[in-house]
Amino acid sequence: MIVAAAFCPAPPLLATPLNGAVPVLPELRAACREVAAELLAAEPELVVVTGSGENTTRLADAGPAGLASFAPGAGLSPGGLPSSVLIGCWLLEEIGYLGGRMLMSVACAEPVASCARIGAGLADEARRVALLAMGDGSACRGPKAPGYFDQRSLAFDAEVERAVRAGDLEALLRVDPELASSLLATGRPAWQVLAGALAGVPVETHVRYCDDPFGVAYLAASVRLRRP
Amino acid sequence: MRAMLSADRSGTLRLREHLFGPERLLVMAIVNRTPDSFYDAGLTWDEPAAMERVHQVVAAGADIVDIGGVPAAPGLDVDVAEEVRRTASFIAAVRSAYPGVAISADTWRHEVAREACAAGADLINDSWGGWDAKLPDVAAEFGAGLVCAHAGSQRPRTRPFRVRYEDVVQDVLDKTLRLAARAVQAGVDPASVIIDAAHDFGKNTWHSLEVTRRLGEITASGWPVLVSVSRKDFIGEALDLPIHDRLSATLATTSVCAWQGARVFRAHDVVQTRHVLDMVSAIRGDRPPARAVRGMT
Repeated sequence: MIVAAAFCPAPPLLATPLNGAVPVLPELRAACREVAAELLAAEPELVVVTGSGENTTRLADAGPAGLASFAPGAGLSPGGLPSSVLIGCWLLEEIGYLGGRMLMSVACAEPVASCARIGAGLADEARRVALLAMGDGSACRGPKAPGYFDQRSLAFDAEVERAVRAGDLEALLRVDPELASSLLATGRPAWQVLAGALAGVPVETHVRYCDDPFGVAYLAASVRLRRP
Repeated sequence: MRAMLSADRSGTLRLREHLFGPERLLVMAIVNRTPDSFYDAGLTWDEPAAMERVHQVVAAGADIVDIGGVPAAPGLDVDVAEEVRRTASFIAAVRSAYPGVAISADTWRHEVAREACAAGADLINDSWGGWDAKLPDVAAEFGAGLVCAHAGSQRPRTRPFRVRYEDVVQDVLDKTLRLAARAVQAGVDPASVIIDAAHDFGKNTWHSLEVTRRLGEITASGWPVLVSVSRKDFIGEALDLPIHDRLSATLATTSVCAWQGARVFRAHDVVQTRHVLDMVSAIRGDRPPARAVRGMT
């Protein structure tokens, strides 16, 4: 049974060892920690960390998150997880979670129905399952953004924000994979896994961060279930 | 394999009729025919201003003048025709004014490279990792040099987004050596091939610092190595400095790269870069002191 879920941004800069001397965006990190802590407050037996990757596959959990591929020369451990899942693992470790976790990569091009189906199957993975969906909105929100400015990014991210704030998870299943991909919106597969996992379940959300300080749309939100 | 593919045994770099011995550290002066490049922001957009810049950099000791018509950063589209319009006739004018100075065309497009070489360019400086597979054919056709750069897997004019490498230096070697081999197979003279780790292209700051720190592994490949670090973001982020305050750090980086064997240095600040490279040559013993009187009288 799914007992809680969360949307969490997955920029590498969330991991403080990658920041250099001065922590970047401490307010984003604080919001993500709160979201993760609320997820754990539901006392899950298993936390599923999901995010986009090259393939759709369950990943071997090789222990502590290795960040060296982002920052050679910084004395970090190597690691081969997809970025989104890797940052999710780092976040859980950062708040001291040592319990069971399952790591799930979902291909950037995975069709919507397939994402939803993957999500629907997660409830059976343990008696109490929490789902941490790692990923971001568009990366095209200004001329300095990683993907430069794309006018379509504004409406795209606005609809995702509306759906999350309203707890309208079904709307996330209408996010177009091709548009998401062209806007470098890495969160699409994970959002749709989450929507599939909680299909038909009334939820309320608490958005703790929604901004685009580097031209990438970051959204951190807790999802609480309103089951009787 | 690497030894077989390397520049000729003497280490001479040949850019059409321009020959540079292995001991020479070369300044490649940047001349942008763009209204929107990241540092000069249109300073040499007008042709008279661009030619004045050429006069200055040649007088300051530039060995190569690198002429480009498209900024590396994403922005307004510049198509082939517009890029040719911005660069080809200007290259011809520089060729005519300075027959003894090597000219480089900063482009990733073979159509532009062809017009540039026809106008007199001696080197095609492709910063985008051989995106256009026909580029080596143009270099071979004209006997021109070719820069084989590592841009990760980035498309031209895109920014790195969450890039990561198991070993960035190994990736640089793998990709640039493959491009160098492709160039030689296309008929480019091995003495005319240069490799470039391409700082900031497809790399975050940590990656560019690592490439700088381990540049000796890249120069050990035997190919002449170009470094293009002038006032780049990784320098700005390393010291938290805005573009206009990055000269000293650029020169420090230049010095470190020169000491590890890089041979061509793409630069905005030609006078200072010339001084740094000449000093490195003097320390190495490749260049006698200009005047050695102290303690000798």
